[in-house]
Amino acid sequence: MMVKLRSMLAILLVFMGYVGHAQQKTITGTVYDAENQPLSGASVAVRGTNVNTLTNEAGQYSIVAATGQVLVFSYVGFQSEERTVDQSNTVNVTMAAAFSDLDEVVVVGYGTTSRAYLTGNVASVKSEDIANVPVPNFTQALQGRMSGVFVESSSGKVGEGVKVRIRGTTSVSGGNSPLYVIDGIPMTTSGTLGYSNPLTDINPNDIETFEVLKDASAAAIYGARGANGVVLITTKSGAAGRTKINASFQRGYSDPTRLKEWLNAEEYVELFLEAGENVDDREFVENRLNQYSGHSDWRTGETDTDWQDQAFNSDAGMHIVNLSATGGNEKTQFYFGGTLDKTKGILIRNDLEKISGRLNLTHHASDYFTLGANFALTRIETNRLPGDNAFSNPIQLVALAPITPVRDLNGELYDRPTTTYYNNLVDSENAQWGITSFRNISNAFGELKLSKNFKLRSEFGIDLLTQNQEQFFGSRTQSGESTDGYAASAWTRIFNYTTNNYLTYNTVVNDVHYIEAVGGMSFQKSAINYTNVTGEQFPTDDLRTIASAADITGGSSTLNDFSFLSYFARANYRFADKYLFTLSGRFDGSSRFGQNNKYGFFPAASAGWIVSGEDFFENNVMNFLKLKASYGLTGNAEIGNYDSFGLYGATSYGQEAGLSPSQIPNPDLEWEKTAQFDAGIEFGFFNNRLSGEVDYYHKATTDLLLNVPVPSTSGYLEQTQNIGEMSNKGVEVTLNGAIVQTDGFQWNSSINFARNVNRVEALGGGDILTPNSRFLNSVIVGQPIGVFYGAAYVGADPANGDALWYADEARTTTTNDHNAAARVVLGNPNPDWIAGFNNSFAYKGIDLSFLFQSVYGNQIYEGGGGYYAAAGDWFDNQSRDQLRRWQNPNDITDVPQARLGEGNGTQASSRYMSDGSYLRLKTLTIGYNFPTAWLQRLKVSSARVFLVGQNLLTFTDYKGWDPEVNTDYLGADNQSTNLYQGNDFYSAPQARTFSFGVNIGF
Amino acid sequence: MNRMIYRYSLLALLVGLSACERKLDIDPEQSIPSEQALSTSQNIQSLLIGTYNQAGLDNLYGGFLQMLADLYGFSGEASWVGTFTQPREVYNKRIRVDNSFVSGHWIDAYQAINATNLIIDHLEVVDEAERDRVEGEAKFLRALMYFDLVRTFGAPYVAGQSNNQLGVPLSLVGILDYDGDLAVPRNTVAEGYAQVLADLDDAYNLLPESNEYYADRYSARALAARVYLQQGNYEAARDAANDVIQGSGRVLAPTYGEAFNNDANSVEDLFAFQVTNQSGTNELVVHYASQDLGGRGGDIVVEPAYLDLFDSEMDDRSDFFYESSRGLLSSKYTNQFGNIALIRLAEMYLIRAEGNARLGTAVGATPVDDINALRGRANATLKASVTLDDVLLERQLELAFEGFWIHDIKRTQGTIVIVESVGGEPTEVPIPYNDNRLTYPIPQREIDANPLLEQNPGYGT
Repeated sequence: MMVKLRSMLAILLVFMGYVGHAQQKTITGTVYDAENQPLSGASVAVRGTNVNTLTNEAGQYSIVAATGQVLVFSYVGFQSEERTVDQSNTVNVTMAAAFSDLDEVVVVGYGTTSRAYLTGNVASVKSEDIANVPVPNFTQALQGRMSGVFVESSSGKVGEGVKVRIRGTTSVSGGNSPLYVIDGIPMTTSGTLGYSNPLTDINPNDIETFEVLKDASAAAIYGARGANGVVLITTKSGAAGRTKINASFQRGYSDPTRLKEWLNAEEYVELFLEAGENVDDREFVENRLNQYSGHSDWRTGETDTDWQDQAFNSDAGMHIVNLSATGGNEKTQFYFGGTLDKTKGILIRNDLEKISGRLNLTHHASDYFTLGANFALTRIETNRLPGDNAFSNPIQLVALAPITPVRDLNGELYDRPTTTYYNNLVDSENAQWGITSFRNISNAFGELKLSKNFKLRSEFGIDLLTQNQEQFFGSRTQSGESTDGYAASAWTRIFNYTTNNYLTYNTVVNDVHYIEAVGGMSFQKSAINYTNVTGEQFPTDDLRTIASAADITGGSSTLNDFSFLSYFARANYRFADKYLFTLSGRFDGSSRFGQNNKYGFFPAASAGWIVSGEDFFENNVMNFLKLKASYGLTGNAEIGNYDSFGLYGATSYGQEAGLSPSQIPNPDLEWEKTAQFDAGIEFGFFNNRLSGEVDYYHKATTDLLLNVPVPSTSGYLEQTQNIGEMSNKGVEVTLNGAIVQTDGFQWNSSINFARNVNRVEALGGGDILTPNSRFLNSVIVGQPIGVFYGAAYVGADPANGDALWYADEARTTTTNDHNAAARVVLGNPNPDWIAGFNNSFAYKGIDLSFLFQSVYGNQIYEGGGGYYAAAGDWFDNQSRDQLRRWQNPNDITDVPQARLGEGNGTQASSRYMSDGSYLRLKTLTIGYNFPTAWLQRLKVSSARVFLVGQNLLTFTDYKGWDPEVNTDYLGADNQSTNLYQGNDFYSAPQARTFSFGVNIGF
Repeated sequence: MNRMIYRYSLLALLVGLSACERKLDIDPEQSIPSEQALSTSQNIQSLLIGTYNQAGLDNLYGGFLQMLADLYGFSGEASWVGTFTQPREVYNKRIRVDNSFVSGHWIDAYQAINATNLIIDHLEVVDEAERDRVEGEAKFLRALMYFDLVRTFGAPYVAGQSNNQLGVPLSLVGILDYDGDLAVPRNTVAEGYAQVLADLDDAYNLLPESNEYYADRYSARALAARVYLQQGNYEAARDAANDVIQGSGRVLAPTYGEAFNNDANSVEDLFAFQVTNQSGTNELVVHYASQDLGGRGGDIVVEPAYLDLFDSEMDDRSDFFYESSRGLLSSKYTNQFGNIALIRLAEMYLIRAEGNARLGTAVGATPVDDINALRGRANATLKASVTLDDVLLERQLELAFEGFWIHDIKRTQGTIVIVESVGGEPTEVPIPYNDNRLTYPIPQREIDANPLLEQNPGYGT
């Protein structure tokens, strides 16, 4: 098979052959903008060839072309211009500002294309669109900016999980995150320590563009890893001309977006005394209240502590310093970028400091050979927090009683038994937990122009990630109190390298047949080494490294590798700039798959028709119309590295080594396949003043990678199989409008909207996958993945205060026995639609832009409800809504009678589910650019002051903290990550940030 | 020139490609494939050691199993005051079908059973010198798992009846091929007990007299005594206990306190799960102990109703507690890396005494001598004579918080009384030994994954 493919490739390349040379001459000229200022860095290209150059500082260029050939002038933000070469040797051009992105160059994976000729679906965001958005992770800045791209930060913890889903969820047990490719090299996006997010290591300011490949035509070139979409990141490159230096400084202040309301001391005492009396145990409650009030007296209301307030930093915020320089000459261009980002999280004990530098170099060694290299090094130091379920999660302080003082009369923090649970403020004084990451993402390339039509490019890239986690918990902390301190040290190194080698061919035949083809291979290998050691028994809390531990209690080291070997090809054919065709395919092999199914083939085809290019299309209103459709196959290889093996792992008993079965074999394990159909229409009105795109897609995933539950009487809980089907259907709409364009005032507006309907079509064996008992997410045939499924809550029985659930699916009869409640679909954590609405205004030097972002139609489940919304079931402080409890016969309420320790309605049910829809003022930017005339005296080329707000306003009916939430601790593996959607479990709300800054260019 | 470069480049590209293909074969570093694991004598013996570790997990004998058996039986002798809702449900005798401690018991027990089955199926690869011992240990562990499964997930065994009520599925062959139908129905309680006793008989015959801290023939015999007692087969229980007392070489630890919290097995241990700071887990400390001892502050508080059972103020056992802010905590679990004593010799004295008392015999010793052996060790006043009730009371004094309470209530057909809110008012509710509430629900995930399983009565549809 391999041999066959290779010979086909060779034949294809030879077949393409050569096209003869025509009479060449040198053409020079100057490119101006609408105000007659020279444009430096504009691209000048001979259409249908690889001949291109950039204008210099004075806007001048020089290029070799033949009479009759067409010169294409393009520059970001301007409408492209074309000039046919005639007798004249001078071509001057004035470029008008663009209202639309149709002319922009789009990176598509192993090549680029122009948006107008694109037949696949690719969304783009440019760096300037997200400049100065004060978030540590670039994916957070993309939220709401691209249709069909769902972004969700799991909580307000700094530098942690951000979920990105492109056109829905395709897998139950495999990964659903897109593939991230930076400058052609697949990035490491998992395997790091704790919850640290490897994408945080990228400096957003170094990025030129983000392109998201959404449909099969665009993504099939990434074959077995394209089914979840692909995010292509292109870093900035230098331009010939004067060296430009840019410096910016930004200072931000953050606080939580939303808080919950809790009982005060008086209400707490009232509710719990009542709960005790209702089970004939008032005395027990009084003893507990005595215990919890420490030195104060709960009867007098002496202490009323707001524990929620203790969980947050009062001085959260960030300092960001950025420095960049670009420049070079005709032969060599460079970009340098550096950043320092110090972010103090809204939660106590949570901060991040990022230092990064990047140098991108390109050198044109000759007319035939170009080489280049990009080096980036980032160091991130974080003080991190445990998972949401840990008592040491700051938010869990809300469980402590308001009658408990924070400190005793000696000024020491109260802890258990005075506090109900661990007072994790002790961690602030007696523990430290830091991760230091070093990330080196570098690549080098050489590009050889073999002939006028052929280009060979070789890339080699490494992504080296080294992390060290040092934990120390002193003798007063929960983790260290019984062992005189506890410390753990862990190191991990992820070495991920890739080589891409491919040939590009392009030609234009008779000026109407445009052909471009690319074909090549790629190999990637990733190896994770991990080592850790733990120790206990420290002589003093001041000695914190394991060197001081008297008892070394554990240690481990592991190795985990995977590899991919791939061959890919793509051919574009365009006829008369109207009819567009693309064929692409990738042949992928991976170490992850079973011996019987190591390789898979993923082809796609697409076609487009630029209707507005036809002669019959004469329309004064509509100036551009394109119809396009694509169909193809992509795969998902995001499973464990060794899922196909039957495995036995080491254990120990006493001090002797043992073996235990850990995994059922499946030698037939193979790629999950997603067949995707996409049909779209792109249009422009009023000379592109109004433009947009509408797409419909249908993704059908088969051979679903699924951890199929098996009866545990077999010795296992599940087996990974290729079984089951899932579909995603959706519509995406993007509209861009240049609403007002006058000399003084501009108003641009854009809307994106996406609706995705996910449906589990089939599962192997049973129709329902039910998870653990505290959360309701399930996988059910005919329903979206992760639907909330369980007991439907009715409210309190007016007669006796018992919690009631519906006993039957039709919801006609009720029961007070949770086990007898009918299990029904209660809600859906997947939104019905997501949308973004962006507006920007410019008046003279002042600019203002705001982005509204919305998620609609999903529900959120509060997993902590059984503790804090439990009508005084146990001694956790309760949310204020619990004051509505049933007290007397005929009370009609949704909160049952307060009964200490009886679990009256605390079981998982729709009682703890609420609407998670929200509308948010995501980003607000106001800037002022100082007039050039003022600046020239200061030898400064540009200066801007700005205010940027993030998450300033949130509109929602959600009952918990913030509706953008998904608790971090349930995502232990892919299946859990996919299944446990829309859960809040003492998860920190998002940060609301207000920042100001200054940006100076030299 | 160009053509040359192009040709060579293409050639180089193709050569480069073929070198890569072998790189797709990557074997795991931390695990070995099944075929390998089951192919050598050493590996099978390692699998056996791994099975002890599995049986010692927190959901099983790492502590939850014993802790829940006591909480399930209490009528106020001790209280669950911890925050975990799973044990509280057991304590309240209102268990959800997806209680994770209960489903954890089932799941982990069957994982251990599968490992024992695989060992028993592959005995032919074990060195002959080790084969009997390996088989005996595997069967001991399998019997231990099935015994606790059948007596918690099946309705109580009633002596002299057919015991055709549903027990648990008996899976006795290791599964290698998972492509077939894995659903299995529940066997009866009688079949479950018969299997347990057959395995224990084999284990008794195959195992050596002593076997480090692994199961030996007297571990198997002692467990058999416990099983017979649960069945109400007092004669067999008495004889097995007598055999252990006379043959095992174990003696009572000099003091009551020395029977607990040991880093190495005590002279009294017939079988204990090994815990160190690097392996094993002791959940009994987590939930019984104060926080400075590695516990959660004392989730189970001893109440006056238990202290009132003691008839001798001198009894060390009546003082084997310590004060905490939450109340009185048991001193049986104060070493977080201490072994978990599963079968102590003291239990054998109690079984022999009960058997003799019920049958009016004096095999090995009289009931009063056996009871006084324990009372004497604990410095309690000695008895001149004992009735059956005295023997049963002595069990509660000696074995409380070690996982016996609910099983003793079931076999003696007792009644539990708890306070619940009924109609909005606190009310005392009696729960007889055979009430549906005193049998665990079959875990919901099992019902969902295995269509042949029938849920126990009282747990919804």
